Amino acid sequence: MFDRWLAGKWRVVLASLALLVALSSLAASPAWAIQIDITKEGGLQALPIALPDFVSLDPGGAPGLPGEMGRKLVELVTADLEGSGLFRAVPRAGHLQDPVSLWKGASYKDWRLVGAEAVVSGAVREAGGKLVVDFYLHNVYRGTLWGKGKRFTSSPADWRFVAHRVADEIYTRVTGEGPYFASRVAFIAEKGKRKWLSLMDQDGANRLDLQVGSAIALTPRFSPDGGRLFYVSFETGEPRIFRWDLYEGRKFQQGDYPGLNSTPAWSPDGRRMAVTLSKDGNAEIYIKDLFSQGLTRLTQNSAIDTSPTWSPDGRQIAFTSDRGGGPQIYVMGADGQNVRRITYEGKNNTAPAWSPSGDKVAFVMGGGGRFRIAVTDPEGAAVRVLTDSWMDESPTWSPNGRVLIFSRQEGSHTRLYTIDHTGHNERLVPVGDGIEASDPSWSPLIR
Amino acid sequence: MKRTGIVTTLLFSLAVLSACSSPQSGGPEAGAGGAGGKGGAGSGAAGMNRSGADGSSLAGGGAGGANAEPEHRVHFAFDSSAVTGEAQGVLAANARWIKAKGSSEVVVEGHCDERGTREYNLALGQKRADAAKEVLVSQGVDASKIKTVSFGKERALVEGHDEFAWSKNRRAELRIR
Repeated sequence: MFDRWLAGKWRVVLASLALLVALSSLAASPAWAIQIDITKEGGLQALPIALPDFVSLDPGGAPGLPGEMGRKLVELVTADLEGSGLFRAVPRAGHLQDPVSLWKGASYKDWRLVGAEAVVSGAVREAGGKLVVDFYLHNVYRGTLWGKGKRFTSSPADWRFVAHRVADEIYTRVTGEGPYFASRVAFIAEKGKRKWLSLMDQDGANRLDLQVGSAIALTPRFSPDGGRLFYVSFETGEPRIFRWDLYEGRKFQQGDYPGLNSTPAWSPDGRRMAVTLSKDGNAEIYIKDLFSQGLTRLTQNSAIDTSPTWSPDGRQIAFTSDRGGGPQIYVMGADGQNVRRITYEGKNNTAPAWSPSGDKVAFVMGGGGRFRIAVTDPEGAAVRVLTDSWMDESPTWSPNGRVLIFSRQEGSHTRLYTIDHTGHNERLVPVGDGIEASDPSWSPLIR
Repeated sequence: MKRTGIVTTLLFSLAVLSACSSPQSGGPEAGAGGAGGKGGAGSGAAGMNRSGADGSSLAGGGAGGANAEPEHRVHFAFDSSAVTGEAQGVLAANARWIKAKGSSEVVVEGHCDERGTREYNLALGQKRADAAKEVLVSQGVDASKIKTVSFGKERALVEGHDEFAWSKNRRAELRIR
């Protein structure tokens, strides 16, 4: 098509115009995102999307009726998308075009009739121990493909991962936000008096217990590459920092300073750890160079300084300090300079978590006997309280900075919840097996 | 070696005698003052006990019956690591007990109630443990024998979600060996 346009100069101009139109329609897709992002009284406005089961392809590539794999893949894609609060699946009963026919070519008017603004068609091939999944996203409103078709190849055992990748593609194309479904959550599992380090997919599936012992484990934090965790363990009898290498299944103690060793936080470049140590008198924040093992002290006062969290560019650190009387959130340069307080509302503000998108800091706002999840910008303006319980804590961000996972104490139970950063779409994350869950840390994207 | 042991036992007996007198000396402040005055002798005995561990443990066994064991626990106000007047008295009694017993190690655990975040409470628990340690040291306990450990809000003493449970859980506990 472009070849024809490029035949003459005039056509080059036309092509440039066409390109401009194409670019402006690209720029318009975040505008769509803003549209579905609008938070009305009822909550998030969800996009109606049709998600028929994926067809099965025979070795010759001919589509047949959906099989077990095509059914469960779509079930998980649907759960991801609906779980975000930004999508609503159009009921199957109303679908006018069957999956095989859709795979051959979308009948947009049929999908318009059932109120779908987008429809997904997909195909599954299982051969030679491999799972191959192809899918297309259709923009029903415009009657065109929404981006290119995409193929994922994996082992059949990793079908959940493939489903999360498909859901991420759809989510990103429609909302203009970064993906987050193909990610994990490290957390502290608890049963009886035991607390241990555990790992699961962001939707609560595939739980893997890492460190089962009698010692208390606390506050896991993912490395920027997602392959390692820092956490606190009492296995020596005192709180000490450990590093767990997920792929090697090994752990290492990270230093042994007298007193408190807590709240490890990996720098975005993966080379340094911000940490709380009380070795020089009281809880102060230090940076440890993970290569030279050198320590740099950032805070110097008689108050508690703890819970460092890095800005995504690694230049600033938000933290908790009670230097002004009660605990509040402060921000300083990664060199310890230019300290400024950013929270004033709430008497007891702690546990900041800087968003991966850089524009927000989540924290726990305490006051009136309640502790709730709140969000502010790094300057301290636009404070918004998201939750309404009495003991919520440990907010941590999804890789795209859109969703928070946190723990909530309800009576004698502690559970994980997610919530959209607008304060809508609060959901319980199922962990299973009667296990209590706290201290979540959301991994980077898994690719 | 034997000589040291005898000297230790003698000094130790003195310390026990002085410790015995303080519970009868009235309020916590008077008790604390009394122990403070003898701090020099007490810490000297404690320092030597390390080289004569056998002798002191025998004497310690005898002293236990003569001197009531203090409660090894003090409490704090919400979000505070300030040692109250009452806690000062309890800690002073513990200092005397520790010196009398010739303990080789004291672990001070700091604990918090369930309100507030895990991370902040770990730091607050440390501050409580350090505050309690400071009182023990001021009362003549050798600082190098004292280890502080914060458990934050991980080890509640009393289960429950009311002010009664919370007030019991905000505490420093002494583990004396």
